[in-house]
Amino acid sequence: MHIAGSTGEPFSNLINNVRSIRIMVCKSAIHPRFLTKDICRPLQQYKVVEMKLLAQQRELQAKIPDIEKCLDIVATLQAKKGTGEELLADFEVSEGIYSRARIEESDSVCLWLGANVMLEYTSDEASALLQKNLDNATASLEVLIADLEFLRDQVTITQVTIARVYNWDVHQRRSKQVTATVVKDS
Amino acid sequence: MQQQGAGSEMEVTWEDQQNINKFGRLNNRYHELEDQIKIAKEANENLEDASNELILTDEDSVRFQIGEVFVHMANDEVESKIDQMKEMTTKNLEKMEEEKASLLSQMAELKKILYGKFKDSINLEED
Repeated sequence: MHIAGSTGEPFSNLINNVRSIRIMVCKSAIHPRFLTKDICRPLQQYKVVEMKLLAQQRELQAKIPDIEKCLDIVATLQAKKGTGEELLADFEVSEGIYSRARIEESDSVCLWLGANVMLEYTSDEASALLQKNLDNATASLEVLIADLEFLRDQVTITQVTIARVYNWDVHQRRSKQVTATVVKDS
Repeated sequence: MQQQGAGSEMEVTWEDQQNINKFGRLNNRYHELEDQIKIAKEANENLEDASNELILTDEDSVRFQIGEVFVHMANDEVESKIDQMKEMTTKNLEKMEEEKASLLSQMAELKKILYGKFKDSINLEED
């Protein structure tokens, strides 16, 4: 419980829940059957958050190779610069339809920035920008993975707690039953 | 990772819980790594196939995919590119295999500790 989730509020809230449940288990003032229900609720919340984080992770993991591909082609264009050669490339016009392009020596590329905006950059600037995007994406992925690990720790703690409460309840009932039979036999 | 059986009297300390968490993390990472290794191996095989095809081809230039387009490139240029990529994936693969070995040994260590304390009250095996 030492690491805080980077997204802040929802995490700390959930941790407190785990903590308070642990205290509840120790005191065991509430009937265990209700207690398991109480502990299961945050577990479901954890699962929801986990799904969200996993979706974000998938998105980032798809984005990173895309940026790498962009960097690759910009680097190729840059390498051609100054050699006087043209870059001959087959490109997809529409799905399954290809055409051939002759890319003349050029100092700039256009980057699609999203929101219907495309901007022309020099090759150096473009690769710097792409590199920055790549670094950002990698950094966010790392944070995301740390968050996921943290969340999974909370899930494990909760699962162990549920198992313990459940076992404790079974044990209690069994010993009650034993005493009851002993009393009946005597 | 769930407890079962009659271990209800067992005290689970914060340290035990941390060990269980750590085991869970390692196990998750292990599965992730397995997937990544599988993908890397496939990539390596594909590169191997590509360089073999390149040796067999009669043409002077082939189309090499960079980004979204297929660039016309001389064979020797493509060959060195593929070699470079192969080297990278191989290195990457080695690193991952190393991490996997270290994960396994750490997991074995934790298993020893946790089974030592909880006996059959805890189950750390895959289904």
